Amino acid sequence: MKVGGMISKFRKSTVITVSPDHAKETCQLIVTELPEFYHLSTITGVDDDPSITLYYHFWQGGDFLSVKTGVPKTNPVIPSLIDVLPSAILYEAEVKDLLGVIFQGNPLMDRRLLLPDNYPLEAPPPLRKEADPEKIRKMMELE
Amino acid sequence: MQYSPENMVPFGPVHPALKEPEYFKLILEGEKIVEVIPRIGYVHRGIERAAQDRTWIKNVYLFERICGICSFAHSIAYTQAIENLLQFEIPRRARYIRLIIAELERIHSHLLWLGLVGYWTGFDTLFMWIWKDREHVLDLVETITGNRIHKSYSTISGVRRDLPDNIGEPLRKEMKYIEERSEYYKSLVSSEETLVIRTRGIGRINQDIVRKLCPVGPLLRCTGIARDVRVEDPYAAYDEIIPDVKTSNDGDIASLLLLRIEEVKESCRLVLEAFEKIPSGPVKLTAPRSVPKGEAIFHVEAPRGELFYFVRSPGGTIPDRVKIRTPTMANLLTATEMLKGHTLADVPVVLTGMDPCFGCMDRVSIVELDKSKQWAIRGEELRQFGIDWYKQRRSKT
Repeated sequence: MKVGGMISKFRKSTVITVSPDHAKETCQLIVTELPEFYHLSTITGVDDDPSITLYYHFWQGGDFLSVKTGVPKTNPVIPSLIDVLPSAILYEAEVKDLLGVIFQGNPLMDRRLLLPDNYPLEAPPPLRKEADPEKIRKMMELE
Repeated sequence: MQYSPENMVPFGPVHPALKEPEYFKLILEGEKIVEVIPRIGYVHRGIERAAQDRTWIKNVYLFERICGICSFAHSIAYTQAIENLLQFEIPRRARYIRLIIAELERIHSHLLWLGLVGYWTGFDTLFMWIWKDREHVLDLVETITGNRIHKSYSTISGVRRDLPDNIGEPLRKEMKYIEERSEYYKSLVSSEETLVIRTRGIGRINQDIVRKLCPVGPLLRCTGIARDVRVEDPYAAYDEIIPDVKTSNDGDIASLLLLRIEEVKESCRLVLEAFEKIPSGPVKLTAPRSVPKGEAIFHVEAPRGELFYFVRSPGGTIPDRVKIRTPTMANLLTATEMLKGHTLADVPVVLTGMDPCFGCMDRVSIVELDKSKQWAIRGEELRQFGIDWYKQRRSKT
């Protein structure tokens, strides 16, 4: 299996680090060529200034296979995984609501899954480091 | 596709129907449901964000309050992730005790669910009987851990207290009682007409849907696929006390009923076996306050399915990121798929069938509860509608 990324092991989890353009292709390879790893556990997003790191966790038996990639905060766009694995739709919507990463091709991108309707549009997504709970609460009370 | 507003029936968000708020938009064509659009986020409490301000040990108490029913599952998933990062071997006795409490929790959660299915199908007596039997399990948990729901029992290097001295006798008695009652309920759900007509053939899923939508837990096992985190990736003492993974084949709510009852019996057996074989020794060690830099993934088999924790440490006393994926989130898409093609009368039973726990699922933002207004159909009305619909159908045949 050819994959253009860095592979590292951390206890029972193998992490493959790829660039964001290759993330979807890597996941597709995993799903087709390692069919036992079809189960996508979740998609995690972490705010690491100046980029947002995304992990796609696949699980089989005693091993985890994670595909790690990063998108810059100034342009957090990445192709969606839903035509490879339809189960990714909710996880991507959650990462979009909380960290502001846009997954192109996901139909839930234009509506909010978790955030309420009165969450201000100017406020940064809640899980980012610059999101200050006090400031956001003030913004919501003024509205 | 554009749907006209007359065809849309909102189910939620604050329902006496569901124990926690949840919003489903059901698009009907005539009487059949063609599309289900969920909207979650009503019980958001900002737990993942709150975890970034608290020390490792304080987070144990935070995470076990995510959910009342699977509270211990959250607590052992988190503590085991930290033990993984610390490269700690916890004492064997602590692992056995964690298994015992986790299985007792599974029993109480499945019995709670069975009672709810009885309630939703109009069979109130079953609901009352099952919840009374559940009290036996909860009293046992209270004797061991000091509390019924939020047990605060697991800690970052084992469990906080040892088992009480004379727990063997009540444990054996209660497990025998639960096993006998489960046999009785099993014969009841296969023969009682009220339940059979509302659960057999309702909400069918198959293995193709499973591969695409990745559900977890009993919803996955009711299609015949035997996947269980306890067996595939053992934690606590499951490598020494191996559970027998139960499956059922039809993929409908009736097979979920039988499957969960079988799991209750299996849990009783595991508890007794663990108690017979428990080794002696300490139950906890002293853990350091600061965790080295790294990432750890840990998952456990909560009563509803695979509960996934991802913990990242920057090398200090406070975590950098904790990501939690609860089983209800993984099952939500499968549940909406199960609803398609059925009528409004089947909605409460199918949604209860996936065993939803929205307290577990919505915990990631720091904003207030949504202030949506309540729509025309209330939970009680929907439940009564379901009961009447089926009564009419039976009287016609």
